[in-house]
Amino acid sequence: MTLADRPALPFARPNLLDLAPLYEVLRREAPITPVTTPAGDPAWLATRYAEVRELLGDKRFGRSHPEPERASRISTAAVQDGPTGDYASEATDHARMRRLLTPAFSAKRMRRLSEHVQELVDTYVDAMVADHDRAPDGVVDLHAHLAFPLPVAVICQLLGVPETDGEHFRALSDRMATFSGEDAQVAREEFGRYMAGLAAAKRAEPGEDVISDLVRAQAEDESFGYPEMVRLCVGLLFAGHETTVNRIGLGTLFLLSNPEQWQALVADPEGRVDAVIEEIMRLGAPGDLGLLRYAHSDVEIGGVRIERGDAVILSVNSVNSVNSANRDADVFADAEAFDPDRAERGHVGFGHGPHFCIGASLARTELRAVFATLARRLPDLRPAVGLDELDVRTDHITGGVRSLPVRW
Amino acid sequence: MTIEVDQDACVGSGQCVLTAPDVFDQRDEDAIVELLDAAPAAGQWPAVRNAAAGCPAAAIRVGA
Ligand code: HEM
Ligand code: SF4
Repeated sequence: MTLADRPALPFARPNLLDLAPLYEVLRREAPITPVTTPAGDPAWLATRYAEVRELLGDKRFGRSHPEPERASRISTAAVQDGPTGDYASEATDHARMRRLLTPAFSAKRMRRLSEHVQELVDTYVDAMVADHDRAPDGVVDLHAHLAFPLPVAVICQLLGVPETDGEHFRALSDRMATFSGEDAQVAREEFGRYMAGLAAAKRAEPGEDVISDLVRAQAEDESFGYPEMVRLCVGLLFAGHETTVNRIGLGTLFLLSNPEQWQALVADPEGRVDAVIEEIMRLGAPGDLGLLRYAHSDVEIGGVRIERGDAVILSVNSVNSVNSANRDADVFADAEAFDPDRAERGHVGFGHGPHFCIGASLARTELRAVFATLARRLPDLRPAVGLDELDVRTDHITGGVRSLPVRW
Repeated sequence: MTIEVDQDACVGSGQCVLTAPDVFDQRDEDAIVELLDAAPAAGQWPAVRNAAAGCPAAAIRVGA
């Protein structure tokens, strides 16, 4: 197959909640298929749950590339755009990263944080109600009032980033994740400099926060390079808000487009919220690409032969992606339906295997507080514009909306 | 029911702790899974099975 014959990513999608119909065809006929990336390079696209899950757990794939200069480029953003990290040390670097970070975001610690998250949510909803009472048309922006500020405030506190820097790093995150080529790279470098400055301040005056912990760990470990530490902090700050902001927005849209599900949640917020957020995690797919891996050796899988160095895009919802695997009808009955009561578990919305999302418990804590509170306090919530009128960030790797007008 | 956890395979995701908090815990220092109850009462079984199915590292084995 020549490059020109391959389907080119991204596939046009009908709207923010549904996927391109081509995914359904690919899952059935070519679960691992050659495609052209938005950057114009060849890659494999894995769309079916079974292969995606298998690939995520397969240690013969990594994020680095044996010959980075020859690697396929994915997009013109500066996040998941190509290989990252050092091929020779990827395994040890990754193991250290997990060791340093997982305790800080453990389920137990996050449970302790939940009261504080609840207070924040209540404060934001108070402000939203006050704004609503003042607004002549009764329309308020749930994105600006809640979906955006909550994850930013929480990750700032955990990492020890001044909340007043929110606007600044938000703008940088946004530019980094936009398909703009050079500007995205410039933004990534600026983000790196910003983070290096913050790390230097923590070195001089450590706090009780994750960045201070990482600065300390870096100083004590010769194999842990300073640039690697800074890269990790940038990644955390980015992953810690972008994804969650989007899931709050999408979750609201899913619930409000399925009024019977919203009513069920309103009737029993505490009892239903966990199932609701898992279903949001399963279906939520703000961006248009997928997780990225490079083959570290030749691998036969799903009827194809992937060669060492090939790029593989795994169609799971995440920092930047579409979500074909979680809509696989072989695994999830009536897979396109938003149904919190479904029996199947095991969506791969937080990934799977060694890279499973470190922030999963944090994200769930935030989503739980948001949706239980909205159901309790704003039972008559409804969208103020149609799905097709939403301001969607289509030029952006994590997608999502720029505003979410609601009323009640 | 008997449960085994593979601490070498565990990636510290905490999913089991959320699903069955009376049976699983995470070590404070590295967030690796710890078994609180290797032979839980029948009331816990569904939660334990869900935890095993949902473990992203396939690190939980449930026996008869
Ligand atoms: C609803 C919100 C979130 C979603 C949907 C999400 C999704 C994901 C997914 C799919 C992966 C796997 C990536 C891969 O395999 O390449 C991942 C990894 C990761 N996530 Fe999240 N995430 C969310 C929130 C967070 C938060 C709040 C944090 C902040 C601590 C975070 C930090 C990370 C990190 C550090 C990794 C890399 C783990 C590794 O490579 O071992 N995420 N996330
Ligand atoms: S769910 Fe699996 S990987 Fe996660 S903490 Fe429990 S045993 Fe470890």
